[in-house]
Amino acid sequence: MKIPASVQHWIVPVVILVAWEALGRAALLPRYLPPPTQIAAALYEVAADGELLRAVATSLYRVAAGFLLGAGAGMLAGLGAGLAPGVRHFFDPLVSFLYVVPKIAFWPIFLLLFGLGHESKIAIIAFSCFFPVFIASRHAALAVQKLLVWTAHNMGAPRATMFFRVFVPAAAPQLFAGARIGLAHCFVILFAAELMGSQGGLGPLISEGEDAARFDLMFAGIVTFAALGFLGDRILMAVRRVVLRGQIIGTVEQFVR
Amino acid sequence: MIARALRLAERWYSIPLLLLVWQAAVVSGLVESRLLPSLGRVWVALVSDTADGVLPYHAAITLGRAGIGFALAALAGVPFAAAMARSTLVRNLFEPIFLFGYPVPKIALFPVFTYIFGIGSPSKIAFAFLECLYPVVVTAYLGFRAIPVSLLWSAQNMGTPRATVLRRVIFPAAMPAIFTGLRIALPISIVVIVLTEMIGDSKGLGYYLAVSGTRFEFANVYAAILVIGMCGFVLDRALLSLRRRIVHWERDEASVNF
Repeated sequence: MKIPASVQHWIVPVVILVAWEALGRAALLPRYLPPPTQIAAALYEVAADGELLRAVATSLYRVAAGFLLGAGAGMLAGLGAGLAPGVRHFFDPLVSFLYVVPKIAFWPIFLLLFGLGHESKIAIIAFSCFFPVFIASRHAALAVQKLLVWTAHNMGAPRATMFFRVFVPAAAPQLFAGARIGLAHCFVILFAAELMGSQGGLGPLISEGEDAARFDLMFAGIVTFAALGFLGDRILMAVRRVVLRGQIIGTVEQFVR
Repeated sequence: MIARALRLAERWYSIPLLLLVWQAAVVSGLVESRLLPSLGRVWVALVSDTADGVLPYHAAITLGRAGIGFALAALAGVPFAAAMARSTLVRNLFEPIFLFGYPVPKIALFPVFTYIFGIGSPSKIAFAFLECLYPVVVTAYLGFRAIPVSLLWSAQNMGTPRATVLRRVIFPAAMPAIFTGLRIALPISIVVIVLTEMIGDSKGLGYYLAVSGTRFEFANVYAAILVIGMCGFVLDRALLSLRRRIVHWERDEASVNF
Protein backbone atom coordinates (compact mmCIF):
# COMPACT_ATOMS: atom_id res chain seq x y z
CA MET A 1 0.00 0.00 0.00
CA LYS A 2 1.40 3.35 -0.98
CA ILE A 3 0.60 6.36 1.17
CA PRO A 4 0.77 9.61 -0.82
CA ALA A 5 3.49 12.06 0.21
CA SER A 6 1.00 14.77 1.15
CA VAL A 7 -0.50 12.40 3.73
CA GLN A 8 2.89 11.28 5.02
CA HIS A 9 3.76 14.92 5.73
CA TRP A 10 1.01 15.01 8.34
CA ILE A 11 1.71 11.70 10.08
CA VAL A 12 4.27 12.86 12.65
CA PRO A 13 2.51 16.05 13.84
CA VAL A 14 -0.88 14.34 14.00
CA VAL A 15 0.49 11.33 15.89
CA ILE A 16 2.18 13.62 18.40
CA LEU A 17 -0.96 15.71 18.95
CA VAL A 18 -3.24 12.67 19.27
CA ALA A 19 -0.85 10.88 21.64
CA TRP A 20 -0.49 14.07 23.72
CA GLU A 21 -4.26 14.49 23.91
CA ALA A 22 -4.87 10.82 24.75
CA LEU A 23 -2.14 10.66 27.41
CA GLY A 24 -3.32 13.96 28.85
CA ARG A 25 -6.93 12.77 29.05
CA ALA A 26 -5.76 9.58 30.74
CA ALA A 27 -3.93 11.75 33.31
CA LEU A 28 -0.64 10.09 32.39
CA LEU A 29 1.15 13.37 31.67
CA PRO A 30 2.50 15.71 34.35
CA ARG A 31 0.41 18.79 35.13
CA TYR A 32 2.68 21.11 33.20
CA LEU A 33 1.71 19.42 29.92
CA PRO A 34 -2.02 20.11 29.53
CA PRO A 35 -3.66 18.36 26.55
CA PRO A 36 -3.99 20.38 23.30
CA THR A 37 -7.77 20.84 23.63
CA GLN A 38 -7.30 22.43 27.04
CA ILE A 39 -4.67 24.76 25.56
CA ALA A 40 -7.07 25.69 22.79
CA ALA A 41 -9.75 26.45 25.41
CA ALA A 42 -7.32 28.66 27.32
CA LEU A 43 -6.34 30.36 24.10
CA TYR A 44 -10.00 31.14 23.45
CA GLU A 45 -10.39 32.38 27.03
CA VAL A 46 -7.58 34.96 26.83
CA ALA A 47 -8.49 35.87 23.28
CA ALA A 48 -12.11 36.53 24.24
CA ASP A 49 -11.37 38.99 27.04
CA GLY A 50 -8.94 40.96 24.92
CA GLU A 51 -5.91 40.26 27.09
CA LEU A 52 -4.20 38.27 24.36
CA LEU A 53 -4.80 40.94 21.75
CA ARG A 54 -3.24 43.63 23.94
CA ALA A 55 -0.20 41.44 24.65
CA VAL A 56 0.20 40.56 20.99
CA ALA A 57 -0.08 44.20 19.95
CA THR A 58 2.59 45.21 22.48
CA SER A 59 5.00 42.46 21.45
CA LEU A 60 4.38 43.01 17.75
CA TYR A 61 5.02 46.73 18.05
CA ARG A 62 8.35 46.07 19.76
CA VAL A 63 9.49 43.48 17.28
CA ALA A 64 8.36 45.50 14.24
CA ALA A 65 10.01 48.74 15.38
CA GLY A 66 13.21 46.93 16.42
CA PHE A 67 13.35 44.97 13.20
CA LEU A 68 12.79 47.96 10.93
CA LEU A 69 15.41 50.04 12.75
CA GLY A 70 17.99 47.26 13.01
CA ALA A 71 17.51 45.81 9.54
CA GLY A 72 17.43 49.27 7.95
CA ALA A 73 20.65 50.32 9.67
CA GLY A 74 22.23 46.94 8.91
CA MET A 75 21.40 47.17 5.21
CA LEU A 76 22.64 50.75 4.89
CA ALA A 77 25.88 50.04 6.75
CA GLY A 78 26.32 46.70 4.98
CA LEU A 79 25.85 48.10 1.49
CA GLY A 80 28.09 51.01 2.42
CA ALA A 81 30.73 48.61 3.67
CA GLY A 82 30.48 46.63 0.47
CA LEU A 83 30.89 49.71 -1.71
CA ALA A 84 33.47 51.73 0.23
CA PRO A 85 36.63 50.13 1.70
CA GLY A 86 36.80 52.88 4.33
CA VAL A 87 33.41 51.95 5.72
CA ARG A 88 34.27 48.27 5.45
CA HIS A 89 37.44 48.68 7.45
CA PHE A 90 35.56 50.56 10.13
CA PHE A 91 32.86 47.93 10.66
CA ASP A 92 34.69 44.66 9.99
CA PRO A 93 36.74 44.35 13.19
CA LEU A 94 33.83 45.47 15.37
CA VAL A 95 31.39 43.09 13.76
CA SER A 96 33.72 40.11 13.74
CA PHE A 97 34.20 40.51 17.47
CA LEU A 98 30.61 41.36 18.41
CA TYR A 99 29.03 38.79 16.11
CA VAL A 100 29.88 35.89 18.39
CA VAL A 101 28.71 37.72 21.52
CA PRO A 102 25.09 37.01 22.33
CA LYS A 103 23.58 40.48 22.03
CA ILE A 104 21.30 39.74 24.96
CA ALA A 105 24.47 40.02 27.09
CA PHE A 106 24.07 43.79 26.72
CA TRP A 107 20.60 43.58 28.24
CA PRO A 108 21.54 44.89 31.71
CA ILE A 109 22.99 47.98 30.04
CA PHE A 110 19.99 48.53 27.78
CA LEU A 111 17.64 47.99 30.71
CA LEU A 112 19.36 50.67 32.76
CA LEU A 113 19.58 53.06 29.82
CA PHE A 114 16.01 52.74 28.54
CA GLY A 115 13.93 51.32 31.40
CA LEU A 116 11.29 48.63 31.51
CA GLY A 117 9.01 49.90 28.74
CA HIS A 118 9.08 49.69 24.98
CA GLU A 119 12.34 51.52 24.39
CA SER A 120 14.73 49.03 25.96
CA LYS A 121 13.24 46.15 23.97
CA ILE A 122 13.17 48.03 20.69
CA ALA A 123 16.77 49.12 21.21
CA ILE A 124 18.15 45.69 22.00
CA ILE A 125 16.12 44.06 19.22
CA ALA A 126 17.45 46.59 16.72
CA PHE A 127 20.98 46.12 18.07
CA SER A 128 20.95 42.36 17.69
CA CYS A 129 19.17 42.47 14.33
CA PHE A 130 21.84 44.78 12.93
CA PHE A 131 24.63 42.20 12.87
CA PRO A 132 23.26 39.38 10.70
CA VAL A 133 21.72 41.93 8.31
CA PHE A 134 24.99 43.86 8.11
CA ILE A 135 27.03 40.73 7.35
CA ALA A 136 24.65 39.52 4.66
CA SER A 137 24.38 42.97 3.05
CA ARG A 138 28.13 43.46 3.07
CA HIS A 139 28.68 40.12 1.31
CA ALA A 140 25.82 40.87 -1.05
CA ALA A 141 27.32 44.18 -2.14
CA LEU A 142 30.75 42.63 -2.57
CA ALA A 143 29.34 39.72 -4.55
CA VAL A 144 27.60 41.89 -7.16
CA GLN A 145 28.99 40.85 -10.53
CA LYS A 146 31.59 43.25 -11.82
CA LEU A 147 30.24 42.74 -15.32
CA LEU A 148 26.91 44.33 -14.36
CA VAL A 149 28.67 47.30 -12.81
CA TRP A 150 31.00 47.78 -15.75
CA THR A 151 28.17 47.50 -18.23
CA ALA A 152 26.09 50.14 -16.46
CA HIS A 153 29.18 52.32 -16.09
CA ASN A 154 29.99 51.98 -19.74
CA MET A 155 26.54 53.15 -20.67
CA GLY A 156 27.06 56.25 -18.57
CA ALA A 157 24.69 55.49 -15.71
CA PRO A 158 24.85 58.19 -13.00
CA ARG A 159 25.84 57.11 -9.47
CA ALA A 160 22.32 57.11 -8.04
CA THR A 161 21.04 54.99 -10.90
CA MET A 162 23.96 52.61 -10.42
CA PHE A 163 23.03 52.19 -6.78
CA PHE A 164 19.28 51.80 -7.11
CA ARG A 165 19.06 50.04 -10.46
CA VAL A 166 22.16 47.84 -10.37
CA PHE A 167 23.51 47.30 -6.86
CA VAL A 168 20.32 46.99 -4.86
CA PRO A 169 18.50 44.65 -7.26
CA ALA A 170 21.59 42.48 -7.70
CA ALA A 171 22.09 42.28 -3.95
CA ALA A 172 18.39 41.89 -3.13
CA PRO A 173 18.26 38.09 -2.67
CA GLN A 174 21.05 38.21 -0.10
CA LEU A 175 19.55 41.29 1.55
CA PHE A 176 16.41 39.26 2.13
CA ALA A 177 18.42 36.30 3.40
CA GLY A 178 20.02 38.60 5.95
CA ALA A 179 16.73 40.21 6.91
CA ARG A 180 15.27 36.75 7.47
CA ILE A 181 18.03 35.73 9.88
CA GLY A 182 17.69 39.13 11.54
CA LEU A 183 13.96 38.67 12.02
CA ALA A 184 14.52 35.30 13.67
CA HIS A 185 17.00 36.96 16.06
CA CYS A 186 14.41 39.66 16.82
CA PHE A 187 11.87 37.18 18.12
CA VAL A 188 14.40 35.33 20.27
CA ILE A 189 15.64 38.56 21.83
CA LEU A 190 12.09 39.83 22.31
CA PHE A 191 11.13 36.70 24.20
CA ALA A 192 14.19 36.72 26.43
CA ALA A 193 13.91 40.45 27.13
CA GLU A 194 10.21 40.20 27.94
CA LEU A 195 10.81 37.30 30.31
CA MET A 196 13.61 39.12 32.12
CA GLY A 197 11.92 42.43 32.69
CA SER A 198 8.94 43.92 30.98
CA GLN A 199 5.60 45.63 31.27
CA GLY A 200 3.06 44.18 28.89
CA GLY A 201 3.65 41.77 26.06
CA LEU A 202 3.50 38.03 25.66
CA GLY A 203 6.45 37.27 27.95
CA PRO A 204 4.65 38.43 31.12
CA LEU A 205 1.52 36.57 29.97
CA ILE A 206 3.53 33.35 29.88
CA SER A 207 5.26 33.90 33.22
CA GLU A 208 1.95 34.89 34.87
CA GLY A 209 0.46 31.61 33.68
CA GLU A 210 3.47 29.85 35.16
CA ASP A 211 3.24 31.66 38.49
CA ALA A 212 -0.47 30.92 38.83
CA ALA A 213 0.17 27.27 37.88
CA ARG A 214 -2.23 27.79 34.96
CA PHE A 215 -0.13 25.81 32.53
CA ASP A 216 -2.82 25.97 29.87
CA LEU A 217 -2.45 29.77 29.91
CA MET A 218 1.33 29.44 29.73
CA PHE A 219 0.97 27.23 26.66
CA ALA A 220 -1.54 29.61 25.12
CA GLY A 221 1.13 32.33 25.33
CA ILE A 222 3.81 30.01 23.98
CA VAL A 223 1.66 28.91 21.04
CA THR A 224 0.78 32.50 20.22
CA PHE A 225 4.41 33.55 20.36
CA ALA A 226 5.53 30.67 18.13
CA ALA A 227 2.72 31.51 15.68
CA LEU A 228 3.82 35.17 15.61
CA GLY A 229 7.38 34.20 14.77
CA PHE A 230 6.21 31.83 12.09
CA LEU A 231 3.81 34.37 10.55
CA GLY A 232 6.44 37.11 10.65
CA ASP A 233 8.75 34.89 8.62
CA ARG A 234 5.92 34.05 6.21
CA ILE A 235 5.12 37.72 5.66
CA LEU A 236 8.76 38.54 5.00
CA MET A 237 8.95 35.66 2.54
CA ALA A 238 5.77 36.81 0.82
CA VAL A 239 7.24 40.30 0.39
CA ARG A 240 10.38 38.66 -0.89
CA ARG A 241 8.50 36.62 -3.47
CA VAL A 242 6.85 39.77 -4.78
CA VAL A 243 10.08 41.78 -4.88
CA LEU A 244 12.22 39.02 -6.34
CA ARG A 245 9.62 37.55 -8.70
CA GLY A 246 12.11 36.39 -11.29
CA GLN A 247 15.13 35.59 -9.15
CA ILE A 248 13.96 32.71 -6.99
CA ILE A 249 13.48 30.01 -9.60
CA GLY A 250 16.05 27.27 -9.58
CA THR A 251 17.84 28.17 -6.36
CA VAL A 252 18.32 26.28 -3.12
CA GLU A 253 15.83 28.63 -1.50
CA GLN A 254 13.07 26.98 -3.40
CA PHE A 255 13.35 24.30 -0.70
CA VAL A 256 13.96 26.38 2.41
CA ARG A 257 11.04 28.68 2.46
CA MET B 1 57.37 47.02 6.98
CA ILE B 2 55.90 50.50 7.31
CA ALA B 3 53.46 49.75 4.50
CA ARG B 4 52.33 46.63 6.32
CA ALA B 5 51.87 48.51 9.57
CA LEU B 6 49.84 51.11 7.70
CA ARG B 7 47.63 48.45 6.15
CA LEU B 8 47.13 46.86 9.54
CA ALA B 9 46.22 50.23 11.02
CA GLU B 10 43.82 50.90 8.18
CA ARG B 11 42.05 47.59 8.76
CA TRP B 12 41.88 47.60 12.52
CA TYR B 13 41.71 51.25 13.48
CA SER B 14 38.07 51.13 14.50
CA ILE B 15 38.56 49.09 17.67
CA PRO B 16 41.22 51.38 19.21
CA LEU B 17 39.24 54.38 17.96
CA LEU B 18 36.09 53.18 19.69
CA LEU B 19 37.99 52.42 22.88
CA LEU B 20 39.48 55.89 22.74
CA VAL B 21 36.03 57.48 22.35
CA TRP B 22 34.80 55.30 25.22
CA GLN B 23 37.62 56.38 27.49
CA ALA B 24 37.24 60.03 26.49
CA ALA B 25 33.51 59.91 27.20
CA VAL B 26 34.10 58.48 30.65
CA VAL B 27 36.97 60.74 31.62
CA SER B 28 35.19 63.89 30.44
CA GLY B 29 32.16 62.90 32.49
CA LEU B 30 29.90 62.98 29.43
CA VAL B 31 28.46 59.57 30.30
CA GLU B 32 27.66 58.45 33.79
CA SER B 33 30.65 56.37 34.87
CA ARG B 34 28.43 53.84 36.60
CA LEU B 35 26.88 52.92 33.27
CA LEU B 36 30.03 53.09 31.23
CA PRO B 37 32.94 52.24 33.50
CA SER B 38 36.39 53.31 32.39
CA LEU B 39 38.48 50.80 30.47
CA GLY B 40 40.80 50.55 33.44
CA ARG B 41 37.98 49.36 35.68
CA VAL B 42 36.80 46.83 33.13
CA TRP B 43 40.37 45.54 32.90
CA VAL B 44 40.65 45.35 36.69
CA ALA B 45 37.35 43.47 36.91
CA LEU B 46 38.45 41.10 34.17
CA VAL B 47 41.85 40.40 35.71
CA SER B 48 40.72 40.08 39.31
CA ASP B 49 37.76 37.80 38.54
CA THR B 50 39.97 35.73 36.26
CA ALA B 51 42.71 35.48 38.87
CA ASP B 52 40.41 34.32 41.67
CA GLY B 53 38.82 31.77 39.35
CA VAL B 54 35.28 33.18 39.21
CA LEU B 55 35.20 33.90 35.49
CA PRO B 56 37.01 30.68 34.46
CA TYR B 57 34.56 28.72 36.62
CA HIS B 58 31.47 30.23 35.01
CA ALA B 59 33.05 30.14 31.55
CA ALA B 60 33.85 26.44 31.92
CA ILE B 61 30.23 25.71 32.85
CA THR B 62 28.84 27.71 29.94
CA LEU B 63 31.29 26.22 27.45
CA GLY B 64 30.68 22.71 28.73
CA ARG B 65 26.92 23.03 28.33
CA ALA B 66 27.22 24.67 24.91
CA GLY B 67 29.73 22.05 23.80
CA ILE B 68 27.58 19.11 24.86
CA GLY B 69 24.44 20.53 23.24
CA PHE B 70 26.33 21.34 20.05
CA ALA B 71 28.06 17.95 19.89
CA LEU B 72 24.80 16.06 20.45
CA ALA B 73 23.10 18.09 17.71
CA ALA B 74 25.99 17.40 15.32
CA LEU B 75 26.11 13.68 16.13
CA ALA B 76 22.36 13.24 15.79
CA GLY B 77 21.69 15.80 13.08
CA VAL B 78 24.14 14.78 10.36
CA PRO B 79 23.12 11.08 10.18
CA PHE B 80 19.50 12.14 10.38
CA ALA B 81 19.98 14.57 7.50
CA ALA B 82 21.62 11.78 5.51
CA ALA B 83 18.64 9.50 6.21
CA MET B 84 16.26 12.28 5.14
CA ALA B 85 18.18 12.80 1.92
CA ARG B 86 18.42 9.09 1.05
CA SER B 87 15.00 7.76 2.08
CA THR B 88 11.74 9.10 0.69
CA LEU B 89 9.78 7.84 3.68
CA VAL B 90 11.97 9.59 6.26
CA ARG B 91 11.95 12.71 4.12
CA ASN B 92 8.17 12.80 3.79
CA LEU B 93 7.73 12.20 7.50
CA PHE B 94 10.15 14.81 8.80
CA GLU B 95 10.75 17.41 6.09
CA PRO B 96 7.72 19.53 7.08
CA ILE B 97 8.82 19.52 10.72
CA PHE B 98 12.22 20.89 9.82
CA LEU B 99 11.25 23.28 7.06
CA PHE B 100 8.15 24.70 8.76
CA GLY B 101 9.63 24.51 12.24
CA TYR B 102 12.75 26.43 11.22
CA PRO B 103 11.28 29.95 11.51
CA VAL B 104 9.32 29.15 14.68
CA PRO B 105 11.05 30.86 17.62
CA LYS B 106 11.86 27.78 19.68
CA ILE B 107 12.86 29.92 22.64
CA ALA B 108 9.14 30.08 23.45
CA LEU B 109 9.36 26.43 24.48
CA PHE B 110 12.09 27.06 27.03
CA PRO B 111 9.70 27.39 30.01
CA VAL B 112 8.35 23.93 29.13
CA PHE B 113 11.89 22.58 28.94
CA THR B 114 12.61 23.75 32.46
CA TYR B 115 9.59 21.80 33.69
CA ILE B 116 10.52 18.64 31.83
CA PHE B 117 14.28 18.65 32.42
CA GLY B 118 14.65 20.71 35.57
CA ILE B 119 16.15 24.14 35.98
CA GLY B 120 19.87 23.19 35.86
CA SER B 121 22.13 21.95 33.08
CA PRO B 122 19.86 19.32 31.45
CA SER B 123 17.17 21.76 30.31
CA LYS B 124 19.79 24.12 28.91
CA ILE B 125 21.68 21.37 27.10
CA ALA B 126 18.43 19.97 25.72
CA PHE B 127 17.42 23.41 24.50
CA ALA B 128 20.82 24.09 22.91
CA PHE B 129 20.50 20.69 21.23
CA LEU B 130 17.11 21.61 19.78
CA GLU B 131 18.26 25.03 18.58
CA CYS B 132 21.43 23.65 16.98
CA LEU B 133 19.64 20.68 15.44
CA TYR B 134 17.70 22.83 12.98
CA PRO B 135 20.58 24.54 11.16
CA VAL B 136 22.66 21.33 11.26
CA VAL B 137 19.91 19.15 9.80
CA VAL B 138 18.57 21.61 7.22
CA THR B 139 21.99 22.64 5.89
CA ALA B 140 23.37 19.09 5.82
CA TYR B 141 20.16 17.82 4.24
CA LEU B 142 20.40 20.33 1.40
CA GLY B 143 24.08 19.37 1.06
CA PHE B 144 23.29 15.67 0.83
CA ARG B 145 20.61 16.33 -1.75
CA ALA B 146 22.88 18.51 -3.87
CA ILE B 147 25.44 15.74 -4.47
CA PRO B 148 25.92 15.42 -8.23
CA VAL B 149 24.33 12.17 -9.40
CA SER B 150 27.23 11.59 -11.77
CA LEU B 151 29.52 11.01 -8.77
CA LEU B 152 27.22 8.28 -7.45
CA TRP B 153 26.82 6.72 -10.87
CA SER B 154 30.57 6.64 -11.45
CA ALA B 155 31.18 4.97 -8.10
CA GLN B 156 28.41 2.43 -8.63
CA ASN B 157 29.60 1.74 -12.15
CA MET B 158 32.99 0.77 -10.83
CA GLY B 159 31.35 -1.73 -8.51
CA THR B 160 31.86 0.16 -5.23
CA PRO B 161 30.01 -1.42 -2.31
CA ARG B 162 27.25 0.71 -0.75
CA ALA B 163 29.10 1.30 2.51
CA THR B 164 32.14 2.54 0.63
CA VAL B 165 30.02 4.86 -1.51
CA LEU B 166 28.60 6.34 1.66
CA ARG B 167 31.99 6.75 3.29
CA ARG B 168 34.10 7.77 0.30
CA VAL B 169 31.63 9.60 -1.95
CA ILE B 170 28.50 10.80 -0.18
CA PHE B 171 29.99 12.08 3.06
CA PRO B 172 32.97 13.86 1.48
CA ALA B 173 30.70 15.47 -1.12
CA ALA B 174 28.35 16.75 1.57
CA MET B 175 31.14 17.74 3.97
CA PRO B 176 31.32 21.45 2.99
CA ALA B 177 27.57 21.83 3.60
CA ILE B 178 27.84 19.92 6.87
CA PHE B 179 30.51 22.31 8.07
CA THR B 180 28.45 25.30 6.99
CA GLY B 181 25.64 24.03 9.19
CA LEU B 182 27.99 23.39 12.09
CA ARG B 183 29.40 26.87 11.78
CA ILE B 184 25.91 28.36 11.97
CA ALA B 185 25.07 26.16 14.95
CA LEU B 186 28.20 26.82 17.03
CA PRO B 187 27.50 30.46 17.97
CA ILE B 188 23.83 29.55 18.41
CA SER B 189 24.80 27.03 21.09
CA ILE B 190 26.71 29.69 23.05
CA VAL B 191 23.99 32.32 22.58
CA VAL B 192 21.29 29.94 23.72
CA ILE B 193 23.21 28.79 26.80
CA VAL B 194 24.06 32.35 27.90
CA LEU B 195 20.49 33.44 27.28
CA THR B 196 18.89 30.64 29.26
CA GLU B 197 21.43 31.13 32.04
CA MET B 198 20.36 34.76 32.20
CA ILE B 199 16.70 33.79 32.45
CA GLY B 200 17.30 31.50 35.39
CA ASP B 201 20.31 29.72 36.85
CA SER B 202 22.86 29.95 39.62
CA LYS B 203 26.01 29.47 37.56
CA GLY B 204 27.46 30.07 34.13
CA LEU B 205 28.46 33.26 32.34
CA GLY B 206 24.83 34.23 31.72
CA TYR B 207 24.13 34.11 35.43
CA TYR B 208 27.32 36.08 36.17
CA LEU B 209 26.23 38.71 33.66
CA ALA B 210 22.68 39.03 34.96
CA VAL B 211 23.77 39.22 38.60
CA SER B 212 26.46 41.81 37.87
CA GLY B 213 23.83 43.82 35.99
CA THR B 214 21.36 43.82 38.86
CA ARG B 215 24.16 44.85 41.24
CA PHE B 216 25.06 47.72 38.88
CA GLU B 217 28.58 46.30 38.55
CA PHE B 218 28.85 47.17 34.89
CA ALA B 219 32.61 46.70 34.76
CA ASN B 220 31.91 43.02 35.41
CA VAL B 221 29.19 42.96 32.74
CA TYR B 222 31.66 44.21 30.15
CA ALA B 223 34.29 41.77 31.41
CA ALA B 224 31.83 38.90 30.92
CA ILE B 225 30.94 40.14 27.44
CA LEU B 226 34.66 40.14 26.60
CA VAL B 227 35.06 36.58 27.86
CA ILE B 228 32.03 35.37 25.90
CA GLY B 229 33.32 37.09 22.78
CA MET B 230 36.73 35.50 23.13
CA CYS B 231 35.24 32.05 23.71
CA GLY B 232 33.08 32.39 20.61
CA PHE B 233 35.97 33.68 18.54
CA VAL B 234 38.32 30.87 19.57
CA LEU B 235 35.71 28.17 19.00
CA ASP B 236 34.82 29.55 15.58
CA ARG B 237 38.49 29.65 14.56
CA ALA B 238 38.92 26.08 15.85
CA LEU B 239 35.98 24.90 13.77
CA LEU B 240 37.35 26.70 10.71
CA SER B 241 40.76 25.09 11.06
CA LEU B 242 39.09 21.70 11.51
CA ARG B 243 37.14 22.40 8.34
CA ARG B 244 40.32 23.27 6.48
CA ARG B 245 41.89 20.00 7.59
CA ILE B 246 38.90 17.81 6.71
CA VAL B 247 37.66 19.61 3.60
CA HIS B 248 41.22 20.22 2.43
CA TRP B 249 40.28 20.06 -1.26
CA GLU B 250 38.05 23.11 -1.06
CA ARG B 251 39.89 26.36 -0.44
CA ASP B 252 37.06 28.67 -1.36
CA GLU B 253 35.41 30.03 1.75
CA ALA B 254 32.94 32.30 0.03
CA SER B 255 30.19 29.76 0.52
CA VAL B 256 30.65 29.48 4.26
CA ASN B 257 30.77 33.08 5.24
CA PHE B 258 28.53 32.83 8.25
